[in-house]
Amino acid sequence: MELRYLFKKTQTVRDDSLDREKKANRPSAPNGLFHKCPGCNETLFSDELKRNLFVCPNCGYYFRMYASTRIESIADKDTFTEWDDDIGETNPLSTPGYEKKIEALRQATELHEAVVTGRCKIGGIDSVLCVMDTRFMMASMGQVVGEKITRAVERATEERLPVIIFCASGGARMQEGIISLMQMAKTSAALERHSKEGLLYVSVLTDPTTGGVTASFAMLGDIILAEPGALIGFAGPRVIEQTIGQKLPEGFQRAEFLEEHGFVDAVVRRGDMKDTLSKILKLHSKGEFTPSGIKVPKKKGKKAKHTPWEKVMISRGKDRPIADDYIEKIFPDFTEFKGDRYYRDNKAVRCGIATFAGIPVTVIAQAKGSNTKKNIERDFGMPSPDGYRKALRAMKQAEKFSRPVICLVDTPGAFCGIEAEERGEGEAIARNLAAMSSLKTPILSIVISEAGSGGALAIAVADKVFMLENSIYAILSPEGYASILWKDSKRADEAASEMKLTADDLLDLKVIDGIIAEPEDLSRKTVGEVVPGMISCIESFIKETKDIPAEDLISSRYGRFRKF
Amino acid sequence: MIKKVLIANRGEIAVRIIRACREMGIMTVAVCSEADRNALHSQLADETICIGPAPSSESYLNVGRIISATMTSGADAIHPGFGFLSEDAEFAKICEKCNITFIGPTSEMIAASGNKANAKKTMIEAGVPVIPGSAEAANTPADGLKLAKIAGFPVMIKAALGGGGKGMRVARSEDVFEKAFLTAQAEAKASFGDDSMYVEHYVEHPKHIEVQILADKFGNVIHLGERDCSVQRNHQKLIEETPCDSLPEDLREKIREAAVKAAKAVSYENAGTCEFLVEPDGKFYFMEMNTRIQVEHPITEWVTGVDLIREQIKIASGLPLEYKQEDIRISGHSIEVRINAEDPEHKFRPCPGKIETVYLPGGKGVRVDSAVYAGLEIPPYYDSMLAKLSVWAPTREEARRKMQTALGEVIITGIKTNIDYQYSLITHKDFIEGRTDIDFIDRISRG
Repeated sequence: MELRYLFKKTQTVRDDSLDREKKANRPSAPNGLFHKCPGCNETLFSDELKRNLFVCPNCGYYFRMYASTRIESIADKDTFTEWDDDIGETNPLSTPGYEKKIEALRQATELHEAVVTGRCKIGGIDSVLCVMDTRFMMASMGQVVGEKITRAVERATEERLPVIIFCASGGARMQEGIISLMQMAKTSAALERHSKEGLLYVSVLTDPTTGGVTASFAMLGDIILAEPGALIGFAGPRVIEQTIGQKLPEGFQRAEFLEEHGFVDAVVRRGDMKDTLSKILKLHSKGEFTPSGIKVPKKKGKKAKHTPWEKVMISRGKDRPIADDYIEKIFPDFTEFKGDRYYRDNKAVRCGIATFAGIPVTVIAQAKGSNTKKNIERDFGMPSPDGYRKALRAMKQAEKFSRPVICLVDTPGAFCGIEAEERGEGEAIARNLAAMSSLKTPILSIVISEAGSGGALAIAVADKVFMLENSIYAILSPEGYASILWKDSKRADEAASEMKLTADDLLDLKVIDGIIAEPEDLSRKTVGEVVPGMISCIESFIKETKDIPAEDLISSRYGRFRKF
Repeated sequence: MIKKVLIANRGEIAVRIIRACREMGIMTVAVCSEADRNALHSQLADETICIGPAPSSESYLNVGRIISATMTSGADAIHPGFGFLSEDAEFAKICEKCNITFIGPTSEMIAASGNKANAKKTMIEAGVPVIPGSAEAANTPADGLKLAKIAGFPVMIKAALGGGGKGMRVARSEDVFEKAFLTAQAEAKASFGDDSMYVEHYVEHPKHIEVQILADKFGNVIHLGERDCSVQRNHQKLIEETPCDSLPEDLREKIREAAVKAAKAVSYENAGTCEFLVEPDGKFYFMEMNTRIQVEHPITEWVTGVDLIREQIKIASGLPLEYKQEDIRISGHSIEVRINAEDPEHKFRPCPGKIETVYLPGGKGVRVDSAVYAGLEIPPYYDSMLAKLSVWAPTREEARRKMQTALGEVIITGIKTNIDYQYSLITHKDFIEGRTDIDFIDRISRG
């Protein structure tokens, strides 16, 4: 029974005046009060959308941002000064109607061109900020865009400022043809000079970053960030689909896809972008070395003596702390940067920058997982070539920005598998050994659990190598050793004794420089007890090495390994 | 004059508004969620638009959809009822921008009332008494004590960043102040990571008294007497009555005047309610201004004869108040109880479900505002209030007896309700004798 048909509703006579009333008095939504979300079709109130930095509060869809709003959301309040907003337009190929089109866009968007450049403070740090705006001919790169970016970068080089570019572009500007193409070379060259001066460039890829911009300045950042879901690629997806005649997979060419493939350091939510940039800028500012001077109390009483085989078992213990635990305790502001810039982000190695005793340091860690699922994701801490190449990239950046490198070594060995060989596991390790031997910045490696073979050495060609008391470092596993020499892997305990893989043995052999004491029952819960020893070790290392000229450092590093 | 109203609400208040509109010859548009297609308000309105799935965020709280429904239906005004978007300043602002009449105060007034600190300041400036307490925070017991002396013992010490009862302590006298301050501060530090403390006068065993206000766009403000809403459980009102016979007439007059002063101080317009706490010794303090129609408005209508929804619509249409203060005569006594779909035996948990039988009382001086009928499914997504039963009689005791009689007749089967619980309150000795304050329910449930 539906009541609606039973009620006698008052027949309200419709008043004619309602229709005759001026239209202006009738309810209507003024232009721009609402936005429809392309992601979920929800009607959104502009103020709310703006407060949410143009991310749909309902479904998380990222609206493209105007340059002005972007600057407002990134630059410290009232610190942005615009540069070069008066460069005259050019029409190098005399394309008919081009000037008119530009003029009309200038009127409609109140933009001078597809990029806004200038200087501002971000988190209190002076920076050059360039922001592209897709409303202006899809932010395609013509002469003016290329010129504005080049001038901004040149000025940043001169004034020794970091550069941040928010990229978004359809690519080259067709109307300017070959001259547009030259902008790719021009901007890249300017950035290379900036980089050679040891200055920081952070590129932020927003939706869409494609074509000639991707293939030039967008991909040249020391650090490349991206907004979630942003389309990033060289060729557009439609072009690829038509060329290869195949449907592209879900998520192809999106920010997350690029992160997975090693081309983006981090996908950063818009709401966190300013904080992330501020942190990156801070991590690239010179700090004052202020060691905590932490003293490690000498433990009294006798500790149980472990046999080498027992140490092997301890170092592989299920509850043994992993790199994540040390990073959390020793480098609380660790900011991770992913990817090898070639093929993939390998999760068995984690790289990042952190502040340690007041100065920025590069942290490279072989990372096992805290549980089976994470261990599978991280290949049980066995790095693939991509992991070593990522580590090398981090070291090269450390060299550029004069940061000490701290490596936490923990791997059973390099990853063993078809893809690893296809991509050159041996080459990747060799390349690291060579590069580390001549890296112009101090390197400290600490073996935290097991250091297996070349897979470990690839991040242990250091000025100093330390080991935790119960960790091991060997050419291969005792099982492997026993199996090769005695055709019996069950004799691993015997092998462990012969191999001289304990910290004490290795100190005697001068393979390592020192041992960090462990509590009786080192576990993920008691990790805090070993941390002071590690901090003290890192502090002394930095103190000893910070004033040594790079050539001397390299020469003594050479000597350190030459002696074997 | 408004010609077509969209009611952005559900339940009995939506029905109440539809009725008022129909009496005034105004067309009505109901909005409903998918769970409310059979709800009475959906059935009763001239037009009904389903605006989305059951969760409030996707229907009754979804500004975009409600505005779209308004445009589509050609309504020129929105009545927000209570709850949902009724005190959402942003929603009111959007209505203003879209040239939709929001039946209520302006967005600015809603925002101003929502900002407690500023509202308190405005009231102090207007000479309306507020709970004495620190405008600033204290970090040491010594500073705290200075503030406590200004506020007057007993005092409440509470975390500046507080909430949820953490970092709160009552100090009844100076000699226990330091200990209480340090305990509260330690809790605050642990819970909120901040040890700044506010100190304000602790209002003990107060009555919750509120004054109904009507104000037009021309600066005319009148009050329609006070309501005693002291019978509360977990800050939920259960029984309301007017007038508050247990307070002396001269005190009540002072409170009503303060309410008018408060409304004038913020240039209020439309219907509103000023809430006060009244201490046993007669000191009273302004709490806040509710910028909407209240659930308990029928009892004011009983004793004044004024139709408050009708007045809201007239004020929103830009008409001046027809009543002057002297036209308002409070006569007799009215009591309201709220009937909820909840289970008093199990911590008053909501009990949605299908209503099998409904019998509602009637007779002289009995009013029921409800949206229930036999066969209706009460959805679990919204407030559990099913009906408001209100009565009028010349005196309080007569009204109370009438309520007892009426409540005894209410039959709702199929779901659990609080009818018996309310019956026990109405017949409680303390209630009969008018000895209620906001701790009444706590006191009797402790035995």
